[in-house]
Amino acid sequence: MRVLLDQLSKSFGPVAAVESLDLEIRSGEFVALLGPSGCGKTTTLLMVAGIYKPTAGTIVFGERRVEHLLPKDRGIGMVFQSYALYPHMSVEQNIAFPLDVQRKIPRPERDRRVRAAAEQVQVGHLLARKPAQLSGGQQQRVALARALVKQPDILLLDEPLSNLDARLRHAMRGEIKRLQKDLGITSIFVTHDQVEALTMADRVALMRDGRLLAYDTPEELYAWPRNLFVAEFIGNPPMNFLPVEITQRDGSLVAVSDGLTIDLPESRRAALAASAPARATLGIRPEDVSIEPAGQGHLSGEVYVVEPMGREQVVDVRVGSWAMRVIAPASFGGQIGDRLDVALDLERVHLFDPDSGERIG
Amino acid sequence: MAVSIEVQRSRGWQGLIPYAIILLATLPIIILYGWLLYSSFFERVEGLRPVGPFTLDNWRFLWAPERVQQLQNKSPIIPLTINTFVFAGSVAGVVLLVSSMAGYALSRLKFKGRRMFLGGVLLLHSFPTVVLLIATFVVLRWLGLYDQLLGVILVKAAFELPFGVWIMKGFFDTVPWDLEMAALVDGANRIVTWWRIVMPLVKPGMLALGLLSFVQGWNEFLLPFIFMPSGNQATLSMMVRSLLGEGRFVDYGTLTAIGLFYVMPVLALFLFAQEYFLRIYSGGVKG
Repeated sequence: MRVLLDQLSKSFGPVAAVESLDLEIRSGEFVALLGPSGCGKTTTLLMVAGIYKPTAGTIVFGERRVEHLLPKDRGIGMVFQSYALYPHMSVEQNIAFPLDVQRKIPRPERDRRVRAAAEQVQVGHLLARKPAQLSGGQQQRVALARALVKQPDILLLDEPLSNLDARLRHAMRGEIKRLQKDLGITSIFVTHDQVEALTMADRVALMRDGRLLAYDTPEELYAWPRNLFVAEFIGNPPMNFLPVEITQRDGSLVAVSDGLTIDLPESRRAALAASAPARATLGIRPEDVSIEPAGQGHLSGEVYVVEPMGREQVVDVRVGSWAMRVIAPASFGGQIGDRLDVALDLERVHLFDPDSGERIG
Repeated sequence: MAVSIEVQRSRGWQGLIPYAIILLATLPIIILYGWLLYSSFFERVEGLRPVGPFTLDNWRFLWAPERVQQLQNKSPIIPLTINTFVFAGSVAGVVLLVSSMAGYALSRLKFKGRRMFLGGVLLLHSFPTVVLLIATFVVLRWLGLYDQLLGVILVKAAFELPFGVWIMKGFFDTVPWDLEMAALVDGANRIVTWWRIVMPLVKPGMLALGLLSFVQGWNEFLLPFIFMPSGNQATLSMMVRSLLGEGRFVDYGTLTAIGLFYVMPVLALFLFAQEYFLRIYSGGVKG
């Protein structure tokens, strides 16, 4: 079922938590609301759930406006960050609760659906236990089963993985993604972890200070960040930034900063020429920079520190006053203080307006 | 889950010092109860020393009240006991009903005057009952509940409520919001959520508060004594008092036996339910 948020706003007293949010989630799509804490992502989710009433704006499920409906009439299932399992009920009673409160489901069907939901997330053998007797991962599964048992149109997940340890988080990431695709259920999940958002979601809505900054597929967000905040937030290790001046030199367009000169590629000239000369923030991802022997790269610098990561190494290089991170292969044998050159993949250089933060070129 | 800290016990006689101090401090109370117990089985006690042979005569009020001189012209003990049970039970019932709903509202709902109300509840809790006796009398007369058990039940429950509401608010505060949100999303309305999710989680608190209110009602003397002067629906506490206060001759043997009979339910409650009483001061919910 399609979900449409139109000019959705929520204020708590004088504090605006969400401001004029427009978001369309296609039927069957898996969308992540991503942002730092306090950005309004959970508030947005709770408005979709019907726990919070919007201050302004509309919420549409399918063709139906729902912002005035109670949570129970919205056809949603939700998994809470704390899982919110009812501690006094067994797993079986927890999963059955959404069916039991409807009162009209006959006993055999109820039992069958509870069992099916439990099997779907592999907790069929735990039905008699109490939540306190389950591990974190099992509790998470039970919470999923409870959210899915009434076959909702929309599944909401609030920080579903943040209470799991790293190994389990990785496993559940894949499982939830697969489950969502198998069921084809329209899903929204909230996370502050960009890795979760990028790995699981079809599209990611990046929020800050109650506003939507970008809404795109993980690939697009990563490859073509629309503004400086997206560029800074997405990617680990983060993108390298350098304040530059864009000017014409010898008929070609260059970015100049503090003695460094970076040629900008032919393909970008048309777009950039209009705004030159101008100040800009240049960005490049660590993996788009390579380490070359001295004299063979664009810029020369010195190794500041090397962080081996197993599969690769993150090398901090000082190029003039610019501290940049570079992804180097595991075979890179440089030591602190070594002189070397770096080469930038010029096609992958990003330029942003330093004042508005918007992408240029 | 119970968390226990194991204290390294010191060896030998040094380990006994704390117990000795506790014993010393509680000795007067132990002697009092001991005295109450054995003097009910002897004809007479001089100081702390029983006189005469062991006897069950003092307990005759249970099976042959007509032969106890002191109980002539008094209501029989069984209806009195029933009255006391009704009184204490009803007080507990009213306190539980009102506290559980008011405590929930104070813990969860936003409404005008909430803070003032909370402050008022605390103030009322520390207000001495005696000051309000005359006003209460006027109100009871006006309601037509003067000299009736129902009236005294309401008055006693009202005086117990500030404590009850405050305690229950504390218990409700420990129930996570997420649980209620989950129940709402799962399809329950607010009432169902309260009854099926929140109330079971504050059950330990309800039990503790219920037992405590029951004991308070059971022990109450002043209110029934003042607001039921005719004694038609008298309670045990009134009877014990009347045995002490009337006539020139006080039969201490019978008095101690009836007194013991009167405190037995309370002692039993504390013996079997002390775990719940303790919870009222920890205010936690077992998860």
